[in-house]
Amino acid sequence: MVADIRPLAAVLVSAVAIVLIVASHRRPNLREGWSVLAALAKFGIVVSMLPAVMDGTVFRWSLADSTGIEFLAGLDFALRADPLGIFFALLASFLWIFTSFYAAGYMRGLDEHSQTRFFASFAASLSAAVGIAFAANLVTIFVFYELLSLVTYPLVAHNEDSEARIAGRKYLTYTFFGGGVFLLAGTVMIYWLTSLVGEPTLAFEAGGMEALAAAAQAEPVYAQAAFFLLIAGFGVKAALMPLHSWLADAMVAPTPVSGLLHAVAVVKSGAFGIARVILEVYGPGLIYDLPLDVPGIGEVGLNIPVAIVAAFTLTAASIIAMRKDHLKRRLAYSTTAQLSYIVLGLSLLHPYTVVGALFHIPAHAFAKLTLFFCAGAIHVETHTDYISEMAGIGKRMPLTMAAFTIGAAGMAGLPPIAGFVSKFYMLIGSADVGGSYWLFAGALLLSAVLNVGYFWPVVYTAFFESEDDHDAKPLLEFPAGGLGQSYATEDDVAADGGRPTDGEADQADAAAGDGDTAESDRVAAADDGDYEYAVDEHPSDADVPGGEQVSAVDHHGDHDDHLTGGPPADIWQRRSPFTESTWLMLAPIAVIATGAVVLGVGPDYAVFLELATRIVEEVFGMPFEELGTVPFDELMTEVNE
Amino acid sequence: MSSIDLLPPLLIAAPILAATLPIALGLWFDRTGWSVAAATTSGLFVGAVALANEVYTGENVIHRLGGYPREYGIELVADEFSMLIVLLVTAVATGVLAYTRRGGPRGNTFYTAYLLLVAGLLGISLTGDVFNLFVFLEISSIATYALVASGDGPEAAVAALKYLILGTVAASMYLIGVAFVFMATGTLNMVELAAAIPEANATLIRAGIGFMIVGFAVKVAQWPLHTWQPSAYHRAPDGVTPLIAALVSTASAYAFGRIIVTVFGVDYLAAVPNLAPIVLTIGCVSVLAGTVLAVIQTDVKRMLAYSSVSQFGLVIAAYGVVVAGESETALVGAVVHLVGHGLLKAGLFLGAALVATSYGARTVDEYAGLAKRRPFVAGSMAVLLFALVGVPPGVGFVGKWYIALGAVESQLWPVAAVIFLSTMLTLAYAARLLEKMYFTPSAPADASRPGPAATDGGTADTDAAAAIRGAGAADPVSIGMIAVVVVAAVAAVALGFAGGTIADLLEPFVTEVFN
Repeated sequence: MVADIRPLAAVLVSAVAIVLIVASHRRPNLREGWSVLAALAKFGIVVSMLPAVMDGTVFRWSLADSTGIEFLAGLDFALRADPLGIFFALLASFLWIFTSFYAAGYMRGLDEHSQTRFFASFAASLSAAVGIAFAANLVTIFVFYELLSLVTYPLVAHNEDSEARIAGRKYLTYTFFGGGVFLLAGTVMIYWLTSLVGEPTLAFEAGGMEALAAAAQAEPVYAQAAFFLLIAGFGVKAALMPLHSWLADAMVAPTPVSGLLHAVAVVKSGAFGIARVILEVYGPGLIYDLPLDVPGIGEVGLNIPVAIVAAFTLTAASIIAMRKDHLKRRLAYSTTAQLSYIVLGLSLLHPYTVVGALFHIPAHAFAKLTLFFCAGAIHVETHTDYISEMAGIGKRMPLTMAAFTIGAAGMAGLPPIAGFVSKFYMLIGSADVGGSYWLFAGALLLSAVLNVGYFWPVVYTAFFESEDDHDAKPLLEFPAGGLGQSYATEDDVAADGGRPTDGEADQADAAAGDGDTAESDRVAAADDGDYEYAVDEHPSDADVPGGEQVSAVDHHGDHDDHLTGGPPADIWQRRSPFTESTWLMLAPIAVIATGAVVLGVGPDYAVFLELATRIVEEVFGMPFEELGTVPFDELMTEVNE
Repeated sequence: MSSIDLLPPLLIAAPILAATLPIALGLWFDRTGWSVAAATTSGLFVGAVALANEVYTGENVIHRLGGYPREYGIELVADEFSMLIVLLVTAVATGVLAYTRRGGPRGNTFYTAYLLLVAGLLGISLTGDVFNLFVFLEISSIATYALVASGDGPEAAVAALKYLILGTVAASMYLIGVAFVFMATGTLNMVELAAAIPEANATLIRAGIGFMIVGFAVKVAQWPLHTWQPSAYHRAPDGVTPLIAALVSTASAYAFGRIIVTVFGVDYLAAVPNLAPIVLTIGCVSVLAGTVLAVIQTDVKRMLAYSSVSQFGLVIAAYGVVVAGESETALVGAVVHLVGHGLLKAGLFLGAALVATSYGARTVDEYAGLAKRRPFVAGSMAVLLFALVGVPPGVGFVGKWYIALGAVESQLWPVAAVIFLSTMLTLAYAARLLEKMYFTPSAPADASRPGPAATDGGTADTDAAAAIRGAGAADPVSIGMIAVVVVAAVAAVALGFAGGTIADLLEPFVTEVFN
C-alpha cells in the first residue's frame, strides 16, 4: 500500500472537465477539446500507475488519511489502484479517448441539441466509472455506482421525447433498484456480519474478506442472503435476466452512449462489481464452502445459481437478438448475452474461467464498441437503423462494414479476434472441473453458434445482397432457410428524407429497373404518412408493455427526419473507405477494430491478459502456472485458508 | 464560562424581545421588519455557533433559570443532541430571510411572527423541562398558525384553522401525558424524571406515554394524523413554507426523540409491552403512505409536503429501532436524518417558492423546461431531490445508512426492507419532477413572461435584462434568493461527507443514553 493521490486524480480529472465543458458551451471546438484532453489526461494518469501496479504496488488514497474526515462512522471513503481496479480503469479511459472523437463526429453529424449537457454527462460518467474501478471498499463502490446511474440518466433521456423519457424512467427505476436497494442492503448486511466477529469492515481483500469468512460460519443464511443481494445489485447493470430489459430501451440514447457506456463503462461496472464480490468480498473459497440447501437436489455451491442465471441469460438473450430487426437493439441483446459470459466465467470460480471472464471484459469492450460505432456511423450517414434496410450497404460504407465484420467475429469468439481467447479460457476451465460444468461449457459453445446466427445475416446482407434482391429479415421470423423476397423494399421502405446527396440519383435510374413505379409508390406513401415498419408487422420487437410508440420509429433523435432509412431512392452509392464518412468517426472505428484484433493475436503482449492472470494469482495465492495442476476441490479449500 | 452559561436563555429571550421591535418601530417606519429579523437571526446563529463550540469541545451547558434548583426550577440544556437542532434552526431561519427580503411576505407583523416562531423552536430545542416543552410547542404552533393564515385567499385561513384545531388537540394530548407522568413522579425536570420513572406507578407512566405518542404523531405529521400538514405547507405564503417545513415538525420530532431517550430512557421503553412495534408501525406506514400520496399530487408544494410525511416516518421508524433494538446507530441515523431532511426541505421549498414567484408555476407539469430557464435553481433542486432519494454523497444517504444499519443490526428485517425500499419510493416522485424540469420541453404558453426568463445566476445578462426593464419593475427574483437555494444544495452534498463527523459529535450523548 502506497499512499498516492493518483487514484483520486484519475477520478477527478473528468469531473474538472465537466466544469470546463459547461463553461465553454458557446465554443464547441474548445468544449470537445476539453473532452479529449480529459480523456488523454485520465488515460495518462492510469497508465502512469500501471508499471508499479504490475510489480505488485497498490496505490491508495483515502479521505480519512488525507483530510481526517470520516465518511461514515467506522468507514473510510477510499480509492485503491490494485490490479483489478487498474484493469477496468485502463480499459474505460483508453476507450474514452476514441469515443470522445467519435462522439464529436456523431453529435455534429446529426446536429444534436443539448450537446453541452451530453458531453458534460459523458465526462461525469467516466469519472464515476473510474471511481468504481478504484473503489477500495463496498461503500465507496456504492457511492460511485449510484452516481453512475445518476449521470447516465441525462444521456438516456437525451432526446427529450416521450420514448426517451420512458426509457429514462425505466433506466432510473432499474438501476436505483439495483443500487439503492439491493446493493445498499447487501453492503449494510456485510458491514453488520463483519461486526459480529470483530471490527466491522467493508474493505476488499484479494481472495475474500477474512472477517466475512469468519462471520459466515456463524450466520450462514444471512451471508448467503447478502451474497445474492450484492449479485442482484450489480447484476442489474450487468443486465442479468430478469433485470436486463432497461438495456435494450436505453438504446434510444445517442450511439456513443450506447457504445461506451452501455457496452463498456456502465454495464461492465456491473460485471466488474460482481468480480469484486466474487473475488474480493466473498472469495471463491467461501462461495464454494457456503452451500445452499436446495430441496430435492441437495447442497449446491453458492455460485451455481448465479452460473445458471448467467447461462440462461446468454442463451435466451442470443435467441432474442436473432429476432431484432433494429440494429442497436440487436446489439443490446448481444451485450446482454456477452455480459453473462463474464458473469458465468466468474461464477464458475475456476482460475481459468476467471481469467477468461476478466479477459472478456476488454475483449467484448473492443469488439462491441466497434459494432456500436459502426451502427452509429451508418445512422449518421444513411439514417438506416433496421437490418432489413441494409441490403447492399457494404458498397456505401465499406470500411465501416468491414470493421463490423471484425467485431461480429469477435462476438462469436472466432480466432484471431479477442473474443476467442477469453472464450477458450472459459471452456478449458469448465472442462477442467468437469461434471455438471460441462453444461455450462455447452452453453458457451451453443451461444457461439447463436452469435454467428444473429451477426452473419448483417454482414451477409451488407456485402452479398443487393437493394432490390435480398432475403426478408430478421430470418427467425420467416420460414427456415429464409424467404426469397424482401418486404423491406417491396413498397413500404421509407422514402428518403432529403439527404443532401440526392444529386447523384440519375446514374442509378437504369439499375433501379422499374424505378418509376416504385418511386411513385414511395411518394404516395410519404404523402399518406402511413409507413409500415418491420416492427409494426412484428410487434415482438416492441417489447415494452403498452409501448407502441416505443421502438416503432427512429431511435436516435434526429427529430426532423425520423422516418428515413434504407437505401436512397435509387441504390447505395459506391464510396471508397476514405470518403464514406467523417474521419472523426472512421478513425476511432479503425483503431478500436484493430485493437480487437491485436488483443486476439497477441494477448500476451497486450497488457490485459497479464493483469488478469496477476489478479487470479493474488486471489488464489499461487503462480498461475501451478494453478492448472491443482485439482479444483483442493484449490477451493486451500484458497479458503 | 459564565458568559457561555448565559447563551441558552439569551437564544430564547432575544428573539422574543426582538419580536416586539417590528411592531414598535412600525409606528414610525414602514419596512423595519426584515432588518430586525436579519439582525436577530444572524446574532442567534453566531450565538448558536459559539454555544455549539463550547458543547462539542468542552462540556454541556446547563442554565438554571432564576437559579432555582432543578426539582422545581426550569433548566435549559445545551447538549450534543440539542445543539444540532439549534444550529439547524438558526441557520435555516437566517437563510430563509435571504429569500423573504424580495420574495415576501413583507409586513412588520410577519416578522414578529417569524421571530416568535424561531424563539419557540429554540425553546423546544433547549428546554430541559417537560412542561416548559409544552409551552414552547404552543408558542411555535401559535406563531405558525398566524404565518399560515397570512397566505393568500380563503384556503390559507382554512388550512390555518385545520392546523389550529389539530395542533391544539395534539398539544393537549401531550399535556395530558405530562400530567400523568407528573402525577406518578412529582417532577417535571427531564433528568429528575429519568431517575424517578423506573420506580413510579407503571400504569400512570404508560398512560402518559400513550398520550404523548399520539400528540407527537400529530405534531410530526404521521399518517393518518398528518392531514393538517399538506394544506398548511401548501397554503402558507411561499416564503414561509421553507421555514415551517424545515423546522416545525423537525423540532417536534426532536422533542419526541428527547422524550424517548432522555426522559423515559431506552431501557424502560423497551420493557413496555408493544411500544416498540407500535412506534415502528407508525413510522413504516407513514413512509409508505406518505410516498404514495406524494406520487399522486400535482402541486409541487403539496408533493413535497407529503414527502415530509414519509421522511419523518423514517425518523419515527428509527426511534422505533432505537427502542426495539437498543440501537445506538439508529439514534445517530434519526438525528442525522432530522437535520438533513430539514436542510433539504428548506432548499426544496425555497426553490419551489422561487419558481412560483418568477413564473407562477406551481404544478409539476408547469415545471417543464425549467432547467433551460433557471439552470442554477433547477440544478440545485435536482441535487436536493437526489439527496432526498438517498443518492450518496448527499446528506439523505447518511441518515438512511445509519437508520438502515441500525435496523439490520437489530435484525428487524421488515423495517429494514421498508427503509431500503423507501429509496425507490422517494425516487418515484423525485424523478417525476426531474423529468419535467430537464427532459420535457416547456409549452409555448409558458414563455409569456420573457423578463425573468433571462435572469439566472447573476450573469452579465441579468444586469442587461434588469436595465431594460428599468427601475420601475423590480425583478421578482433577487440573486440572494437564488444563492440561498444553491447554498442549500452545496450544504446537502458537503454534509454527505460529514457522516463520521456528526457521529463523533453525538458520541458522548449516545454513550450516555445507552450507558
